[in-house]
Amino acid sequence: NEKLKEGFSSGSVQREAKWIKIIDQWDRILSKKSSKVRPCQKGIPASLRAKCWPLLCGAANRMKQHENLYKTLDEQPALQSWVDVIERDLDRQFPFHEMFQSKDGHGQRGLFRVLKAYTQYQPDEGYCQAQGPVAAVLLMNMPAQAFWCLVQISEQYLPGYYSPLLEGVLFDAAMLTWVLKKTCPAAHKHLQNHGVEPLMFATDWLMCLFTRHLPFNTLLRVWDLFFCYGVRVLLQVAAVLVRRVLGRAEQRKQCQGQMETLEKLRGVKEEVHDEDDEFIAEVRFRFLNLIGL
Amino acid sequence: MSESYDFLFKFLVIGNAGTGKSCLLHQFIEKRFKDESNHTIGVEFGSKIISVVNKMVKLQIWDTAGQERFRSVTRSYYRGAAGALLVYDITSRETYNALTTWLSDARMLASQNIVIILCGNKKDLDADREVTFLEASRFAQENELMFLETSALTGENVEEAFVQCARKILNKIESGELDPERMGSGIQYGDAALRQLRSPRRAQPQGTQECGC
Repeated sequence: NEKLKEGFSSGSVQREAKWIKIIDQWDRILSKKSSKVRPCQKGIPASLRAKCWPLLCGAANRMKQHENLYKTLDEQPALQSWVDVIERDLDRQFPFHEMFQSKDGHGQRGLFRVLKAYTQYQPDEGYCQAQGPVAAVLLMNMPAQAFWCLVQISEQYLPGYYSPLLEGVLFDAAMLTWVLKKTCPAAHKHLQNHGVEPLMFATDWLMCLFTRHLPFNTLLRVWDLFFCYGVRVLLQVAAVLVRRVLGRAEQRKQCQGQMETLEKLRGVKEEVHDEDDEFIAEVRFRFLNLIGL
Repeated sequence: MSESYDFLFKFLVIGNAGTGKSCLLHQFIEKRFKDESNHTIGVEFGSKIISVVNKMVKLQIWDTAGQERFRSVTRSYYRGAAGALLVYDITSRETYNALTTWLSDARMLASQNIVIILCGNKKDLDADREVTFLEASRFAQENELMFLETSALTGENVEEAFVQCARKILNKIESGELDPERMGSGIQYGDAALRQLRSPRRAQPQGTQECGC
């Protein structure tokens, strides 16, 4: 029985070992800009995500540089107007997730602390509602580094996504139109014919990093890729989602009209499975294609 | 399933974050209170056919994000709206004070003729009230808005808000004050044949090729 188990899991054990080696040699790998970080193709083993995400996004480094900053922010009071807004939103993040169910549970409390600290860290930006679900997923995976990961995402990965003018979102929505045109012309044409713009369906996708639109395990694998390759992964995922919903002629025939198309796009979660290898492969394939363009 | 209706109106739901816009929409469509809801990022949609003065009207409702910074994004949704629910929370003075800005956004970005109903939501929380009925109804009068206090929790006045707004639009169509044919009126005829006649682009067969990707 044990042997059988071993056999079943040997693939993942090997993968885990590989990742542990990568983590051990992180600094050396980074300095050499080695291509070893690529194993993200197959996803980071679940047991090592908490270790890898902060390393990949640079949060681990920032934490080292500003050792006590989060603790200091955490202990200081924040602007009351931000506190009110954040508190109102706390029970609106993953209400069905055990961790975030109770008002004084560690999930909601942790979320409050991270989001509050961000408004102190970046007072000109304050709190954007779309940061809530992102911070929640970070907290689920690595509570201790969640704050610095949120900082890295908001500052380095997605600048202008949560700022008062959302200029990054406006820009990337326009980029998505271009990506769709290049990678999925028929769907792009359909959207144009019916007056459907990316801002109408992809604002939530991009700003919340798909937290509300992908089954959880597939979501985590998308985030693995995101931490490796950055914002282009979001655009690729969006393109693959559009293609899953509107890629075939008969699918487009079913939704003639702006609202019909938007309804269809809203139901995108049903088109993706949990642990959807094919989906991830498609995202990666599109991604490579896009680089080639 | 084919739906038959006489008119289609585009509606907006606007107002500050946390005033219950999505809950109003949910109560209107599902007839129950949405207890655990995410805040809206960008826009959500809903549609429903209602009967108003012997006409079947399909409401196509765009429920927008309320946090101020989303305005740069939500602007693109206003175009061609025929009606709007402008929502504040009767227990929050702050949400009431923001009404003027929302109002000018709606009139500027949707249309000068947009029919707006002011909704003082969370009527069930009367004990925590910060905005009186009288004060809000005066504001409504001054700004030519209809006005109701609503409760997305109990459902009180929710259907009425949508119906009243639709009725006013119908009246305006009948009196000739609103022209459904005008571009961006937010109104369409329900009869598919008529629609296709009037909008030749829609009558074209849609692309039949596979997505070439």
